[in-house]
Amino acid sequence: MSEPHELVEHFFRHEFGRVGALLTRSLGVRRLDLVEDVVQAALVQALETWSRRGVPEDPAGWLYRTARNLAIDALRRERVHAQALPRLAEDDERESSPLEAHFADEIGDEPLRLLFVCCHEAVPAESRVALALRMLCGFSTAEIARALLTTDANVQKRIERARARLRELDIDFDTPAATQLSARLDAVLAVVYLLFSQGCHVTHGDMPIRRDLCDEARRLARMLAAHPVGDVPAVHALLALMCFHGARFDARVALDGAIVLLEEQDRSTWNWGDVREGMAWLARSAAGDELTRYHVEAGIAWEHCRAPTFADTDWQRIAELYDTLDRIAPSPLHSLNRAVVEAYLHSPQAGLERLAAVLPENVPARYPGWHVVIGELHFRLGRHSAAERAWREALRLTTARADREFLQSRLAVCRPDGGEPATE
Amino acid sequence: MAKFLFIYRESTERRAQPSPEEMQALAAAWGKWMQKFSAAIVPGGDGLKHSGRIVKDGLVTDGPYVEAKEIVVSFTIIQADDYNAALVIARECPPGHTIEIRELAGYA
Repeated sequence: MSEPHELVEHFFRHEFGRVGALLTRSLGVRRLDLVEDVVQAALVQALETWSRRGVPEDPAGWLYRTARNLAIDALRRERVHAQALPRLAEDDERESSPLEAHFADEIGDEPLRLLFVCCHEAVPAESRVALALRMLCGFSTAEIARALLTTDANVQKRIERARARLRELDIDFDTPAATQLSARLDAVLAVVYLLFSQGCHVTHGDMPIRRDLCDEARRLARMLAAHPVGDVPAVHALLALMCFHGARFDARVALDGAIVLLEEQDRSTWNWGDVREGMAWLARSAAGDELTRYHVEAGIAWEHCRAPTFADTDWQRIAELYDTLDRIAPSPLHSLNRAVVEAYLHSPQAGLERLAAVLPENVPARYPGWHVVIGELHFRLGRHSAAERAWREALRLTTARADREFLQSRLAVCRPDGGEPATE
Repeated sequence: MAKFLFIYRESTERRAQPSPEEMQALAAAWGKWMQKFSAAIVPGGDGLKHSGRIVKDGLVTDGPYVEAKEIVVSFTIIQADDYNAALVIARECPPGHTIEIRELAGYA
């Protein structure tokens, strides 16, 4: 036994995606289930063997060889050598060239292809992100269910539905035309952004931010940007957006896990390395005349990063950006944010009037943030009982611990005696 | 000083469960365990593949033993003064296994 090597962070999770993608190339998209099984089994064997003997010199190569051998065994048992076995054997020859070169830091484009497979237009939209999280990020069913705020059974159903569609279609892993890939890019970006947003706005449980989800999203986006198909302004803009948001993660969460509002954040604790990276992506995203929602959202996030203090925020500019965003990608959440901006720009009353103008059928009544904002605007106008009503409604809809504590502290401020935290 | 064989058994149901992230956490815990007891661990322990053969009365059958509730997944040989000392080491193993501890007879 040599000195046990340390595994880099998220090694198992990232290799799950990488080895899975490499095997999918050989086995075909029809066999995603087999791919998943053998990669999982290889990780288990790694755990059991490395626990006794230490981590080998080339852990990634070890995992790949083990998973490939398990796949060969499984195919032999099934007696369907005909197609995939020769391809796995080819890999054997490739193995004689130094594996390290193949596995070190270089990212082959297999994981990316797999991401595009997961986002195939025939895969139901709600299944795409679940399948991508499973196949590329190695998330367990329970982890995906937590990330997507749904049940284990639902996740299982979505993944099975996606696999079934891909089996029926028998699409080619190797050679989707560049035009096909470009057509799927929107769906890919939607999946990456959804993953990131889920991490930023955890809506239940104990953690205010699931940073691992955000990191996975940024990793996938960087991989995209490094590839000709994904080296386009929309991807650069999404990366800029994620960097600007990521810069504020540390400042957003107090030491006790509570949420710190933008207004009260200590801007010196923002991660300026992230901001600089975001600026570089933002500059690249300006090439060409394409304006996507990611461009506009990155622009908004940049305005916040740019302001030296909260009071220096250029609300006029942000208001214009939200108007543009709502035109490109209409959403009641954009109206909500726009109302907040209106409140800073003019008055809380003006913000409330904007919210009142949203058509009733567009009001996301079950979204706690809607009521949080209404409460805050009333509160700033001195209407404490209206604020309390709205915040109580928000509290009723909230399950995340940090959000609940935040609301309870607001409700406590609401009481005339200024004291007792609100009980439910 | 005596030698003890640690035989690790694992539930066949549990095995499919851990996510890669959880497995990595376990691997890190095992790394710590190995470092802590490196003086006691005799080189040569290993994990076991899940397929195998059983020979009984000249009859050969295939593993893996899918019908079994637990299978042996790995083994380690530990050097320790006595069972109590070996138990101290076994108790510090990361969770997830049943560990059978058998003293080597030293016949060989």
